[in-house]
Amino acid sequence: MLEAFLVSVITMATPILLAALGELLVEESGVVNIGIEGAMLSGAFAALTIAYFSGSAGLGLIGAIAAGVALNAIFAVLVVNLAVNQVVTGTAVSILALGLTGVFYRQLFGVTGKAFMVAPIAKIPLGPLARIPLLGPVLFDHNALVYVTFLLVPVLWYVISRTRYGLRLRACGERPEAADALGLGVIAIRWQALLVSGALTGLAGAFLTLAYANTFVENISAGRGFVALSVVIVGRWNSWGLAAASLLFGAAMALQFGLQALGTVVPYQLFLALPYALTLVVLAGFGGQAAAPSALGEPYRRQ
Amino acid sequence: MLSSIAKPFAALALAAVLISIVLAALGASPFGVFAALGGGAFGSWYACVDTLVKSTPLIFTGLAVSIAFSGALWNIGADGQLTIGAIAAAAVGTHLENFPHAIAIVIVLAAGALGGAIWGGVAGWLRARRDVNEVISTIMLNFVAVQMLSWMVHGPLMEPSRAYPTSSPIASAAQLEFYFAPSRLNLGMLLAVVLAVACYSLLFNTSAGFELRAMGRNRRAATFFGIRIPALTVWVMALSGALAGLGGAVQVSAISHRLYEKLSPGWGFEAIAVALVARLNPLAVIPAALLFGALDNGSQAMQRTQGISPELVQVIQGLVILIILAFDTPAWNGLRENIFGASSDDAAAVPPVAEMPDA
Amino acid sequence: MLRANAITKRFGRTLALDGVDFEARPGEIHALVGENGAGKTTLMNVLAGSLAPDNGQALLDERPLQAGSPRAALTAGIAAVHQSPMLFERMTWEENLALGGFDTGAELLDLAAVAARARALAAKLGFDLPPAGATVENRSVAERVRLEVLRALSFNPRVLILDEPTSVLAPSELAAFLDLLRNLRGEGRIVVLITHKLSEAIAVADRITVLRRGRVVARTIPAETSEEKLAGLMIGEIVIQPDASAMQLGPGEPVLQVENLTLDDHTRRRILDRLSLRVAAGEIVGIAGVDGNGQTELVELLAGVRKPGGGKITSIGAMAVIPQNRDLDGLILDMRLWENLILARPLREQVTSRGWLNTSRAIDLSRELIERFRIRAPGPEAIAGALSGGNRQRLEVARAIASQPRVIVAHNICRGLDLAATAEVHRRILDFAADGGAVLLISSDLDELLAICGRLLIISGGTVRETNPGERDPERLGLLMAGARD
Repeated sequence: MLEAFLVSVITMATPILLAALGELLVEESGVVNIGIEGAMLSGAFAALTIAYFSGSAGLGLIGAIAAGVALNAIFAVLVVNLAVNQVVTGTAVSILALGLTGVFYRQLFGVTGKAFMVAPIAKIPLGPLARIPLLGPVLFDHNALVYVTFLLVPVLWYVISRTRYGLRLRACGERPEAADALGLGVIAIRWQALLVSGALTGLAGAFLTLAYANTFVENISAGRGFVALSVVIVGRWNSWGLAAASLLFGAAMALQFGLQALGTVVPYQLFLALPYALTLVVLAGFGGQAAAPSALGEPYRRQ
Repeated sequence: MLSSIAKPFAALALAAVLISIVLAALGASPFGVFAALGGGAFGSWYACVDTLVKSTPLIFTGLAVSIAFSGALWNIGADGQLTIGAIAAAAVGTHLENFPHAIAIVIVLAAGALGGAIWGGVAGWLRARRDVNEVISTIMLNFVAVQMLSWMVHGPLMEPSRAYPTSSPIASAAQLEFYFAPSRLNLGMLLAVVLAVACYSLLFNTSAGFELRAMGRNRRAATFFGIRIPALTVWVMALSGALAGLGGAVQVSAISHRLYEKLSPGWGFEAIAVALVARLNPLAVIPAALLFGALDNGSQAMQRTQGISPELVQVIQGLVILIILAFDTPAWNGLRENIFGASSDDAAAVPPVAEMPDA
Repeated sequence: MLRANAITKRFGRTLALDGVDFEARPGEIHALVGENGAGKTTLMNVLAGSLAPDNGQALLDERPLQAGSPRAALTAGIAAVHQSPMLFERMTWEENLALGGFDTGAELLDLAAVAARARALAAKLGFDLPPAGATVENRSVAERVRLEVLRALSFNPRVLILDEPTSVLAPSELAAFLDLLRNLRGEGRIVVLITHKLSEAIAVADRITVLRRGRVVARTIPAETSEEKLAGLMIGEIVIQPDASAMQLGPGEPVLQVENLTLDDHTRRRILDRLSLRVAAGEIVGIAGVDGNGQTELVELLAGVRKPGGGKITSIGAMAVIPQNRDLDGLILDMRLWENLILARPLREQVTSRGWLNTSRAIDLSRELIERFRIRAPGPEAIAGALSGGNRQRLEVARAIASQPRVIVAHNICRGLDLAATAEVHRRILDFAADGGAVLLISSDLDELLAICGRLLIISGGTVRETNPGERDPERLGLLMAGARD
């Protein structure tokens, strides 16, 4: 019972954390990407479609990366090169992805309502570690995406705070005009962050279709991209904080399934609303976005 | 030079070209699809009336977005505000059996407006007093609203037999009647048009509307001239929420008569496309909403005859927004000045998010 | 040899540089002098690659520099020190320097190595460095300038361009700093010193180029010129004489009174420190000071944009504020001229009844003001952004005076204006005072203040000090502005 719950927490937290880590990179460079929901959805769709027709989960993952990158590239042209409003662009990208995946899904799979299932990505038990009671199944018996996601937490923390590249990234989010005067190339750095983030977000979507649902339904991301957005805020722009927030929100989602099955008096919707409500409370309590990069969300255009 | 009226049309035309490419990729005939869309929306008297009905919630949410965006308050939460408005209307509406028709209607609509105003006002208050970005808060409040609706129809407002996740129908006294039955045309459309005129008046003929627009164009300057930004922010977000909430109440009162999950198919997001096509002008919101209402209405016929799913409409919405943004960007201004001389009458529709950094 | 050939740069309708030719040789300190708005900073930005010129070309050793690329300029060996430090405020000073030429080149940051290199260079220059791990936003303005100079020198540049670097240095630091420039010259580097302090240019420069309104008006050497001659070249004509009537008006009743005003910023650094002043009817009180000593915050407090930490502001009657940055704070550039005028509450009230705005009345009022204040504009319906800088300023002054206030608070109102526009703005202010209005004029332009102010205060470190007539010579005032106590 506890084991099943904890495994479920990890499963729920993984796609959110993966997308949130991508968003963290983008926000450190000074851009806020609300289109993350759309990139996730596109990744989910591309992964399932390609895996279904090719029979290869690996190709599906590559397709998901390509889809996420493509969607973020559209966003980058408008936001980084043309310096238009990031919020409205991100919203439009999400709507566009919702529409495109819906149209292509019906076109490719018909409207029969038949589920198009794929085999889940193989789990990789980590030898004897996976046989430890409780801890083994919870931590050491997952597919590669889960391991990669949690491995990215220390990696991104290190890259952002301890490397030259991370310093340059933060410089762009702190004061783009000064970064430009030092020849750092704000436009190139923001593009790179968005492309890497697109790949991570696409993979997060692939996790939903290839490791969780094993099929695609319209709007399968169901707001997880927005949860990732709040994970970045609640995690105070720190990848360890992001991991903690993702696990917390993952637990709320896992709990909700349990409650729905048990039929308790506590409405399960309360737990579904928790990530969003908590984000509001954290933002209100911490006095706004004091931990956010200074230039976050401001369009930057060279003279 | 692209005049302010030609711009949205050019954006729509470009969107149509891009859609045609998508359709060709799907193996469908773009001409057939557009013909089916048009036929479905305007092919018969009833199709036309239904287009009006489908446009009504878009006028309400389009006005909500236009008002907020005019003040550079990025209300992405019209959907949640509409949902809360609908919940409030339904919650009150089931208890109005013994009220006179006119009073019941007023109560139901007022409840919807109040619910939406609270939902929008919270985001405004968070922005004004706690420095919480309204984009994030309205997105979060959307999801809270969705869960609240789900809870309501599974819990407190669930119909008595407890067989279906819907509320009981609202009292007949609180229902807006149809005209030209069996069409579903109702007073809601008229109310929407009246509100569009009122919003236009507010923005362009009153001192408060001027302050709102000044805040949207340059928050710093507005502050310097004694415009009380925090209070204005709360009021504008509450008004925006009230307009969306009213849209939810009209939908419950006139069309659905009850609550159910997924009441809004995304009117609050479609409203962003409506508002941008209208260049945030409340009067222009009416034709823009009709356009997108027609697309929604025509999409079913398109699916029947061409086998293209109605989600194509969302592709069009997304593309239209992106194209208008690309047309409006200040990045072109330098270019335009070089080619056409300084453009003085061609200000961007969308206020900038923030002022440019110092030169 | 650093060379600029026929550089032209336009911002909207303002011609910032008009066919400027400039050259500086290795082993020289070249002073670039000119009034505010003459185009000095724009020329620096073009040379340093931050701005792409509309026409013309910059060359180093006869090799063209890639226009608009700061990276290309840095690679070629051109480093710039900006007037307001371009630092990353929320990073540590080591991180700031690591983004410059102290970068070890390794992908892993080695901040200790960066700090060691910085300390070595700082020791050579006689600079102090902040304690390890200190965040820049908590440091003083002078410390920030030193960090920015250090960062520029870290690139080991062949050309160093400095934009008014001495304005925030304490007198004790100045001599050492000028020695540093001489050392750099001795190493065969090119030093371009942008300044409006003529004594400094004459003392340290080998050659001097004078800019006026985007054009080079003279090239000379210190031996052949004098401060008076340079001033004449910079300004083009005689400085406006003080209007005797305004200055000799006896002190009327005090209209604006500020007592013990105190303000801390979000890092708890003291910005204003028990600042007190009073302005009487009919007088123009000037506040001189180096930018960044609390002027902007004082104006914001007077305008009610923010609340003080302590102290009190009393004003008898209405106050009109003309903020310093007219394009960001004073005007809404993409709104119409009449809309910009009714931004002032008193004017808006004139054309509003019961909340309804009477647009045609607002337009009529605007037409009248356009006429009266000789604003060159197509009409009340024109977008403010379509006006030239001078006419934008006339618009702001017209709005302030038409609001019929008892006090006008004006901050750097003539920055970037040509002489005709400056003279006219000054005349309007003098007329206003002559009619019994009180004026608080805050400016970093000493000449302007000496020309039209009756009393002169010096702001430094967030507090003001009254000067007496005997102290009204530029040298003494310069010392006071740099923070000297008696």
